[in-house]
Amino acid sequence: MSEATSNTAPARINRNVLIGGAVVAFPLLAVLIANLGRDPHAVRSPLIGRPAPSFSLVPVGGGAPVTLEALRGKTVILNFWATWCVPCFQEHAALIEASRSLSGVKFFGVIYEDAEAKTREFIAQRGSGYPSLMDPEGRAAIAYGVFGVPETFFIDGNGRIVEKYVGPLDGSTILALAARAKDGVR
Amino acid sequence: MLPILGRTLILLALLTASAGAIVGFATGLKPSPSGWRWTRILAYAFAACMLLASLTMEYALLTHDFSVGYVAHVGSRSVPTWVSIVSLWSSLEGSILFWGLVLGIYIAAATSRNANKYPEYMPYAVGVWLACGAFFSFLLAGPAQPFATVLKPPLDGPGPNALLQNHYLMVIHPPFLYSGYVGMTIPFGLACAALLVGRLGNDFIRPLRNFLLLSWIFLTIAIVLGGWWAYEVLGWGGYWAWDPVENASFLPWLTATAAVHSALLVERKGVLKGWTVILVLATYLLTILGTFMTRSGVFNSVHSFSQSAIGPTILVFLAAALLFSLVLLALRIDRLSPEGRLETGPSRDLFFLIQNLLLVLFTFTVLLGTVFPLVVEAVKGVQMSVGRPYFDKMSVPIGVALLFVMGVGPALPWGRASAQQLRRAWLLPLGTAAVLLAAGLTLGVRNPWTLLALFFGGFTAHVTLSEMFLPVRQRMRAHQEGFFEAFRQAQSRGQRRLGAYVAHFGAILIITAIAVSSTMGISKEVQLKPGESATLGAYELTFAGVEQVVEPHRVSTRAHLDITKNGRSLGALYPSMNQYENQREPVGSPAVHTSLTEDLYLSVHNIDSERDGLLALVNPMVCWIWIATAIIALGGLLALVPSLRGSTAAARIPDSAPAVIQGAKG
Repeated sequence: MSEATSNTAPARINRNVLIGGAVVAFPLLAVLIANLGRDPHAVRSPLIGRPAPSFSLVPVGGGAPVTLEALRGKTVILNFWATWCVPCFQEHAALIEASRSLSGVKFFGVIYEDAEAKTREFIAQRGSGYPSLMDPEGRAAIAYGVFGVPETFFIDGNGRIVEKYVGPLDGSTILALAARAKDGVR
Repeated sequence: MLPILGRTLILLALLTASAGAIVGFATGLKPSPSGWRWTRILAYAFAACMLLASLTMEYALLTHDFSVGYVAHVGSRSVPTWVSIVSLWSSLEGSILFWGLVLGIYIAAATSRNANKYPEYMPYAVGVWLACGAFFSFLLAGPAQPFATVLKPPLDGPGPNALLQNHYLMVIHPPFLYSGYVGMTIPFGLACAALLVGRLGNDFIRPLRNFLLLSWIFLTIAIVLGGWWAYEVLGWGGYWAWDPVENASFLPWLTATAAVHSALLVERKGVLKGWTVILVLATYLLTILGTFMTRSGVFNSVHSFSQSAIGPTILVFLAAALLFSLVLLALRIDRLSPEGRLETGPSRDLFFLIQNLLLVLFTFTVLLGTVFPLVVEAVKGVQMSVGRPYFDKMSVPIGVALLFVMGVGPALPWGRASAQQLRRAWLLPLGTAAVLLAAGLTLGVRNPWTLLALFFGGFTAHVTLSEMFLPVRQRMRAHQEGFFEAFRQAQSRGQRRLGAYVAHFGAILIITAIAVSSTMGISKEVQLKPGESATLGAYELTFAGVEQVVEPHRVSTRAHLDITKNGRSLGALYPSMNQYENQREPVGSPAVHTSLTEDLYLSVHNIDSERDGLLALVNPMVCWIWIATAIIALGGLLALVPSLRGSTAAARIPDSAPAVIQGAKG
């Protein structure tokens, strides 16, 4: 029968299948390999490498407004947070610790959608190593494109945003990103 | 103690699978009874190792043995027992172990069913299955080790993902999904065996088609269960979001659906052999791609497991399987020579082919939309999302075309049809189509695609039902039998045919329900203070207040809403926010009032004692999606059972069916 003849027929390569399959398979594999190890949660902010939006915000508990211009020449870490945000208090201790160990780096919290009284109570209970600034109408948050807390911006001495981090930070990440901010935008 | 036992079992599984794969291939090349016996023994041994390893893990989960790495990772003393049991598939390493278990069961079942059949093919097939088994054992032995020893076991663990605990559907969805996904290994092995032997005849297509159909049934149910879960749990009001992980399960389903149909042409006419084999191979490769997508962390999705080192390992396996399949196909596909001719005029054959091509087009469309963001990111370094608009725009025309083909194909005879046959076959169904179109217009449907779906849906439903009952009518006329007796007789004689039409009927229902629910819904966002009401369509919602429900593993803050429809009370609904022990953020639970015509869907997005921010939707016909899936699954089972019982009945039916059809039409 035809089956018997086909079995004894010499092996012939079907080029169409081979080429067609390769055309689909290899680009697909290449794309997957190129994206391996990428963290889809790492959001590239369009602000990175650009001058950080300026602000003038009053610290929690009152005092003179803090402006970004006055901080020129120093590395600045700007952490948007709120008392109602659970990941924020997870990173709280790491931020305080880093603010103590890193000299020459200015840490600021920016309060996102929260009441000053609640914030003051939170700081009284859990302590703080640096000022937190009230952002009553959320202008700074809008200027920085914050869409959830915590989000942390690392700003170099020239007032440019070097890095943006979404989600709770840990000690080693803060140190690594702060070091990059000290080097400035390349 | 348990970690060592578990690791030993995994190593034994790796050993038996690798040895079995080698012995299987060797026996395929040089057949011998003892070689085949050893292949089988090693296949059963692999299954036994996987079963014992899974039981060991279950024991560790139930006894809260936190010295086992996986238990320390997902176990918790504060969760109910059922959560501990299903924790086996709640996280990465456990889910791979569960994969191994399902694979072991499938391999053992497929081996024992065919132990005395197809002596040329089976050693190769078992060899391929065990090679796949060896890979998953390797994953469990190295990159995704569930049985790692924890040197200082914690006193308690964090418990599994809150979403898993949030709804019972998450308990049954994964087993169905894995039964569908992993099951595709069996047809893959059989198709590889057909290529290696260089022959795919009327006999060997049968086990291939049966295991394909079985896995297809599981996968169909699993996909819809996943959608149902998203609908009942995620709270955005829909059931399908074209999320990469949803697509991961949909892609192999599309090719498997095509293969189930083309396998029928292989069986009946001896044509499309190479094509069917390609579809079966592609289906398996797409399941591995899906596994990679869910477990590599490359795709951003609500469902995916966290980032892990096993991504690269799966990618290597995917590449190897792709290369193996490609080379095997290129070398051997020409040997699968056709025994008949495919009718290319207006005929049922032609519409089988069109349906297949539509499904493959659909596969490429979804694959492209899923992968495209990755291409852009790799090339330009910007993140983007293709999102729903692309998928909706592309899938609606294909879906409607499939609905059309599903009606026209069965309305035509096998072989070329005459103009008179065409007229007679199309006139009545066109009437039904017009009636449904008119009904849609009077009910206020204006979306052209929905109207088209209703029109084709009516046509196809008419054809499907009349084909379903055709043998019954003939028996009633020829044998003077009553309806039920005739139905019983016809059903027992042509169960595969009946099953196919039942599945088609379910498919019509599901496409229509999707078309209606996605275009005819209404939604509203409201903020309510206690005592305030809001109206949505015929419904009125009154916010009675906030209640707290404390359970051992979670605290629910739920809004109490009294619902009336047209002034008649429907009782209360309680959409809630659940805060789980050991979980950071609360998880919302929508509340749904389901009826046959429409669902009222309520989901809270912020809630405290003073106000309740609520998303309210009326989703028409959603319930029919779930019902239709049950019908499709029933149809699949009806089509599967006779061929499982014995090959004799199944062999005769395809020959008698066309005679019946042609007799009626000619």
